[in-house]
Amino acid sequence: MGAVIAHRFRCIAAILCVSLGFAQSAAAAQSVLSAVLSPTQITVGQSAELTVKTLGAGLEAVVLPSVAGLELRIVEQTHHLEMVHGASLGTTTTRVRVTPLAAGVYSLPGLTPSAQPLVLRVSVDDTIGKAPAKSATRAAPARSSVGEPVHLSADGAAFLRLTLPKHEVFVGESVPVEIELGLRPGFVNSLNGLPTLTSADFTLNNLSRQPLRSERVVDGVGFAVLTWHSVIAPVRPGTFTLSVESPITIRQRLRPESEAKLEDQLGDPFLQNIYGKTVKKDIKLASAPVELEVLALPTEGRPATFSGAVGSFRIASELVPDTAAAGDPLSLRMRISGSGNFDRVDSAMLEHLDQWKTYPPKSTFAGSDTVGYQGEKRFEQALIASRPGSATLPPLSFSFFDPVARRYATVTSAALQVTITPAPGDPSAPVPPGPTTQGSSVTGSAAGSPGAMTGGLRPDHAVSESGVRTLRPLVLQAPFLAGSAVLMVGFAAALWRVRRGAGDAADGERRRLRRLSALQRALAAGEAAAQEQDSRAFCVAARELLDAQRASLPNGHRLPPQSQELELLVDAQRYAAAPPIAVDWPRWLETLRGAAGAGEPA
Amino acid sequence: MRLCGLAVIGFVLCGVAPPLRAASGDPAPALSAASLYNEGNAYARAGKPGLAVLNYERARVLAPADPDIAANLAIVRGAARVSATIPGRMTRLLLLASPNVYAWMGLLGGVLTGAGVVALAATRRWRPAAFVTIVTGTLGVAIAVANVIVWWPTLHAAVIITPEAAVRAAPAPMSDALFSLHEAQIVRIEAEHEGFWLVRTNDDRSGWVAVANLARIVP
Repeated sequence: MGAVIAHRFRCIAAILCVSLGFAQSAAAAQSVLSAVLSPTQITVGQSAELTVKTLGAGLEAVVLPSVAGLELRIVEQTHHLEMVHGASLGTTTTRVRVTPLAAGVYSLPGLTPSAQPLVLRVSVDDTIGKAPAKSATRAAPARSSVGEPVHLSADGAAFLRLTLPKHEVFVGESVPVEIELGLRPGFVNSLNGLPTLTSADFTLNNLSRQPLRSERVVDGVGFAVLTWHSVIAPVRPGTFTLSVESPITIRQRLRPESEAKLEDQLGDPFLQNIYGKTVKKDIKLASAPVELEVLALPTEGRPATFSGAVGSFRIASELVPDTAAAGDPLSLRMRISGSGNFDRVDSAMLEHLDQWKTYPPKSTFAGSDTVGYQGEKRFEQALIASRPGSATLPPLSFSFFDPVARRYATVTSAALQVTITPAPGDPSAPVPPGPTTQGSSVTGSAAGSPGAMTGGLRPDHAVSESGVRTLRPLVLQAPFLAGSAVLMVGFAAALWRVRRGAGDAADGERRRLRRLSALQRALAAGEAAAQEQDSRAFCVAARELLDAQRASLPNGHRLPPQSQELELLVDAQRYAAAPPIAVDWPRWLETLRGAAGAGEPA
Repeated sequence: MRLCGLAVIGFVLCGVAPPLRAASGDPAPALSAASLYNEGNAYARAGKPGLAVLNYERARVLAPADPDIAANLAIVRGAARVSATIPGRMTRLLLLASPNVYAWMGLLGGVLTGAGVVALAATRRWRPAAFVTIVTGTLGVAIAVANVIVWWPTLHAAVIITPEAAVRAAPAPMSDALFSLHEAQIVRIEAEHEGFWLVRTNDDRSGWVAVANLARIVP
């Protein structure tokens, strides 16, 4: 409550003081042509600029009103000479910095009796510690450098000043700059080239061909000022010191500066040159360095369609005409307007559109300033519809990086409706589906639904009874996998079985051959023993052959009688001391051969 | 051979019987390419490109070679300003039929290969025929495996179904938003955690998205 009362008192006091000040300056205000305050709404800590244009060649100070809570300070005076109806008319422009000391609404009285008071609204800066607000930063144009000191050259013959609207930019961002070259008449012989940037980390657009010419008083000395406007763009991130330099030829005074004050009092350059001696000297005049921090564009959130445009842009689109016959060309136009690096504003428009033939777009740029920082880029694309009916062209979009919001943004135009009529004389042209036709939902049911697609869709399909319960492919369904596994196991088992059977047969054959070989060896040993009448060796061979014969018999069968007799003989030989078979070798040998034949493996 | 017979019977009981049971009165709704396609058309007309693309993609799982699905999918994507990867020639060849057809082809190839191998081991009488059977069967299995590889990304893909989906740095609602995804955009799901999916986009950006913002193509 107290703050409100104090604020009202402050406003009333301001109005009273302004009234008094207006009364005092009434006489001096007779020659004031105009007074402009810009901006009219600021925050505490910022300054506004009051530009007062007065009539007359003299540089006498404008009598400024005194407003409580406002600090008004003259920062620059410029003299201009205009020719009106053949008569020269001198005007003086005075730039006054208006700095509020507290928040509130201030009223500056009109500097002419008929002028309206100028109102300045000052609010508390609530953006401290937050991201820079869109309006605050955008409202700070190149004029934010008002009051920056002018650095004169060593002998005070010239100055060069580079003015940037801000000191923190992003890679690729276009930054409008103002380059002022002040030349003291009589002390600068020639300008030998246009100002150039001293840093290779920035690109500088072409300077305006004809610089603005004006006059300005700096430290009581008049200068002819050439002003160029251009745009710089940083090419890589980092912190840089930026300045411009310009080659000029000056007339350097031979007398010490302390002794040249009299010369400076002589306003006319001719008198100055007569009084003081000078020599020509080529110098490179440099501006005071300006520190600039260049930030890299963030990679997070970068749209796929981002083409490098940095700035603030709007989008609009139109289709001309909105009704045409099938086969006739239509022109789809997209306009991207705003401020930024328009050379990186690009769009493929509509690359592919079903039922339409699309052509590559063409673009043109129309700048609203001399440096191409603000303007409008127009894209135009030819489209030809191949099918009659009502169609909706999809919205066009454009992505860019907003350096104020410090994020990527995508602006999208509205979808465009178009009606395509059948081509004249083409009876085969398909009739556009109507709302009552089956499958006409292309145009039917979507009316009124925002963003609904009403054209170009192919009609519905007839739905059959068959279907699946899940979209998961069979190969990922457990029953199919289990069945496949069972099949594979079955094949593996069959293969194992087949391989095992083949192995058993081979083993039996090998065993049979081994057995046959052993019997042949035993028979040979028996025959040799019979020939040598060695009853002991004969019985050993006979035992082996009889065992083989018994093993070959089926279960329950007994050996033949001869073999039983031979077995008895062998047992007797084995357990008795005297061999009883010594006398009848041929008979027992025959029996032995029979046992060997019977014992052969099948 | 008796074992092979048993395996075939077991496969029939395990693999074919459930679908037959389903067809004979299972309450689960039957999905078909036509019904999903029509549903996609309805969503497209209603101005919901995310759900339209979702249903078209699902219809394409069952009928990959349907030209109407591809055409409407392209239209909806174009309207939503969403790009899609164009499959290569080999991929298009592998997408001529549904994955289920290729699955049966792979199974048949497995049967032929197994029978050929068993015949080759059992007898030498039909050796050339067994070789041809093995080669044919192996080719069928290879085609089926290639089809699975082609479809594998789709099995882990999801469609953004809300107008904007914030992609966050961590699976928490108050986590920092890294970027946003547009409706109808397709992403790859890599992990899941408490109501959030870790997704990766085509341009290799990743982050966590709330489950409510997207739907799997193959649930």
